[in-house]
Amino acid sequence: MSARSNSKQSGTATSGFDWLDVALVLGGVLLLYYVVPMVSLFVSVPAGDVLARMANPTVVDSATTSLLSATITTVVATLFGLPLAYWLARTDGAVAKVVLAFVVLPLVLPPTVGGIVLLTVFGPGSPLGDAAIAAGVPLTRSLAGVVLAQLFVASPFVVVTGKAAFESVDQTLEHASRSLGKSRLTTARRVTLPLAGPGILAGVTLAFARAIGEFGATMMLAYYPRTMPVQIWVAFIELGLDNAYPVAILLVLIAAAALLILNTAAANPWE
Amino acid sequence: MTLDLARLRKAYGQFDFGPVDLTVDDEVLAVLGPSGSGKTTLLSLIAGITSPDSGSIRLADRALVGVPLEDRRVGMVFQEGALFPHMTVRENVEYAATTGDRVDELVALLELDDVLDRTPPTLSGGERQRVALARTLATDPDVLLLDEPLSSLDAPIRRRLRDELHGLFASLDIPVLYVTHDQRTATALGDRIAIVRDGALEQVGTPSAVLTRPTSRFVARFTGTENVFDATVTDRTADGATVQFGGVQLQTTTADVAQSAVTVCIHPSRVDVEAPYVADGDRTANAVSGTVTRWLNEGSEYRVDVDVDAGPLTLTASVRPPTFDRLALERGTAVQVLVPEASIHLIPGGE
Repeated sequence: MSARSNSKQSGTATSGFDWLDVALVLGGVLLLYYVVPMVSLFVSVPAGDVLARMANPTVVDSATTSLLSATITTVVATLFGLPLAYWLARTDGAVAKVVLAFVVLPLVLPPTVGGIVLLTVFGPGSPLGDAAIAAGVPLTRSLAGVVLAQLFVASPFVVVTGKAAFESVDQTLEHASRSLGKSRLTTARRVTLPLAGPGILAGVTLAFARAIGEFGATMMLAYYPRTMPVQIWVAFIELGLDNAYPVAILLVLIAAAALLILNTAAANPWE
Repeated sequence: MTLDLARLRKAYGQFDFGPVDLTVDDEVLAVLGPSGSGKTTLLSLIAGITSPDSGSIRLADRALVGVPLEDRRVGMVFQEGALFPHMTVRENVEYAATTGDRVDELVALLELDDVLDRTPPTLSGGERQRVALARTLATDPDVLLLDEPLSSLDAPIRRRLRDELHGLFASLDIPVLYVTHDQRTATALGDRIAIVRDGALEQVGTPSAVLTRPTSRFVARFTGTENVFDATVTDRTADGATVQFGGVQLQTTTADVAQSAVTVCIHPSRVDVEAPYVADGDRTANAVSGTVTRWLNEGSEYRVDVDVDAGPLTLTASVRPPTFDRLALERGTAVQVLVPEASIHLIPGGE
């Protein structure tokens, strides 16, 4: 018994490597796994080729659809998400926990399942879906459908990140503002929002990034008009991998811009 | 302006606040109590940060319960100042002020000229509290509430700001409630002191009344009376009584206690320590001989424990440094403790 534990100890002592080195090696492998494909994507096609294909109408159309829909989604998510984020930040108890669980659900749900769930409410054959078609604003195979799909998967980022941002604002400051005779609205506008601003911007940025990359639920709800992720899929299936590169590169650049915002103006929630 | 609280109650899980009845005129009421006793709850209820379960709060002829925080005209200075960190000092004060003149006036009054363009995180603790006070006063409140504004400051700054506050409060003609757990701050600033214990008011009175005539053991101990003993009244005359405890018999001038079982309170600062058998001491004082067992240097005074020869009793006395040096006190020094008759306060009933 004692001999065994002794040999174990000496084994660790003489082998001469530190656990930190192991961590570095393991982490390094993972890091390469992130970086190498990214570099590979940019070097696999000549830059001139990519630029030429970017001018292709299908690429331009998909980029327009994606930017427009993701912008609308982000605005709507912010408009409806921030009040909920504030309420969650200032409420304790079981009700708030249940509400938060429902908010987080779309984040953990597979997007295709999200699409199916949405189709039961907005799809053709559902009362709401048929009424919308009759009114001339179909909720599937339309820009509205794209926005609905994106909103489902992207808006939780505004709520969850916004909640953390509001929680970081000491409630005493709001009490102080109101005790100085300022209304709740003035207090929110001049004290709470400015202080929570960087965190809120982070949530908004994440929601935009998630919306623009949304594929699964969008495929179910609105295959047309094509967003960039759908266009990548179509190009890959119909014309081969090479033709999927230009849009993929565009999306990588947009993701990089989002990261830039997170690390400058916004409060990066992961730091 | 009069602030009037009646049967005010608030329950938080395990903690029950109230019922509290309290009237505050244009005066400074120092609210003194240990942490967790309900001092901050009292202020939160008046300010409107929390609403009471029952009871009323009236300010002059206005009922405040149910009125939102922002409409109460109750000014509150928060513990750490609660300054808006994204605004400069000037912006903080201007945020609250109704007129620019008021800002200038308060900046001058609280000597903020040098820090006007700085932001709260760069201010010292004392500066922060000055700004918080200026910001609150800028609204011309009908009541001023202060929640331990000096507790986080270093001793010299605390003393200076305390002196300034004393002058400032005197110039305000509104009720001021000043919450603190520090007895010195309470007696220095309060026209009256309210002692809070477990969510209830234990005693309300002038500083000297609370210090010299506590109505309970808690108040006595909390205000620094370390000599608190069970005693029996053995004799009663027209101008005093004799109390017996721990093997000693002392004369007191207070006779307004009917029971024979009493609690004796003797504040350490109200007794003297002398060399044994000094004949020219205070003739009207009770003299108790004993031996020094322990002493502590508390800065401006020494706290000396004396074991009484006559019985199992330890008396604690505050001794000023000159006396301490003159008597060359140390462990084992034989002394007598002189207890003036008027220094003995009696509370009806024993423990």
